[in-house]
Amino acid sequence: MKIDPDIRTRIEKIVSSDHVVLFMKGRRGAPQCGFSATTTQLLDQLVPDYSTVDVLQDPEIRNGIKEFSSWPTIPQLYVGGEFIGGCDIISEMFGTGELEEALGIPKAANTAPDLTITDTAAKALQEISGPSAGRELHLSIDARLQNNLYFGPIEERELSTVTNGIQIYMSAQTAVRADGLTIDAESTSSGPAFRIENPNLPKVKDITAQKVKEMLDSGENFGLYDVRTPEEIQIARISGAIALDEDIRNKLEKSDKKGTIVFFCHHGGRSQSVAEHFAALGYENVFNLIGGIDSWAQDVDQSVRRY
Amino acid sequence: MPLQILSELPPEPEEMKVLIKRRIEENILNSDVNVSAGGPGHFEITVESTEFEGLSRVKQQQLVYSAISNLMSGENPPVHAVDRMVTKIPSNSDG
Repeated sequence: MKIDPDIRTRIEKIVSSDHVVLFMKGRRGAPQCGFSATTTQLLDQLVPDYSTVDVLQDPEIRNGIKEFSSWPTIPQLYVGGEFIGGCDIISEMFGTGELEEALGIPKAANTAPDLTITDTAAKALQEISGPSAGRELHLSIDARLQNNLYFGPIEERELSTVTNGIQIYMSAQTAVRADGLTIDAESTSSGPAFRIENPNLPKVKDITAQKVKEMLDSGENFGLYDVRTPEEIQIARISGAIALDEDIRNKLEKSDKKGTIVFFCHHGGRSQSVAEHFAALGYENVFNLIGGIDSWAQDVDQSVRRY
Repeated sequence: MPLQILSELPPEPEEMKVLIKRRIEENILNSDVNVSAGGPGHFEITVESTEFEGLSRVKQQQLVYSAISNLMSGENPPVHAVDRMVTKIPSNSDG
């Protein structure tokens, strides 16, 4: 069966609308099928922001994408406009570390990080944990740098470290984000409260749309960078912003790190990771426009189209 | 009417196995194809071919899926699902 040219064009637009696009049943956070759920769980560990397309809402896309990709099942993952695979292949690539490579993100560690667990925290953990199989202590730090301590079974490819008598398991991705991390605890009336301090959190500051507007109006010297795709920029733009294409990105990476730079995307997720990248390069004044251009369209300039 | 009903009966799994094998062999050169049937409309496919050399596993499987795409599309396709697909490069090939 040949694919309808209009549907082909629609799909081509979708796969080029974001760096990472997942065709799935349901939505990220509310998947409607086990294979789609597995795939989003794996991606959540690696990418802070990606687009999903719910094929259940659109029979044309649901049938069309199968022809488009020469692939009969959903989910389907596209990175940089290229088909990567379905659930099985993605799971396998996650297991071998190839998925990081395909997504263009740093490879995961294969050694456990150095952690500090304070005496108070160690004592509290010992009291609540009791060593039972399937309830081992885990630390996870996802791609959005959210911490979580939980008890659960040991999973494949996890790393483990013993600090202050406490054994902690974590994924290789978490290990990269956890080096030098400290776990402390305070006793409260409802039991111990754990506090995690992570020195790896990059020094990106949040900035509101109004504040950016003030800076623009006052003629302050700073760079405002749009990290969205060219297709998105055609839909809506902030006047005075520079599209962060390959060229500009290379220049910015090499220029003086003292300047103030502000990044934005659609909702603030993609620009957060770009901002972190530049903070990690040594930029001292890096800001992320919270809520992205969507917040700009609501709070500053209603003539900017929302999408 | 009875004829109508007859024509809607799904093809026999044995017939489908032969058809799947033929489609793949027509489309992928030097291929050695093995098809086994699972539940109704479910199949497992193994293809060995020198055509796969230099291709990623996804690309290899895409070649096979596109060879049988018209057996898998439309309402009620005769091939409902491929439960398992294995692609191999012959070990004695020079590439």
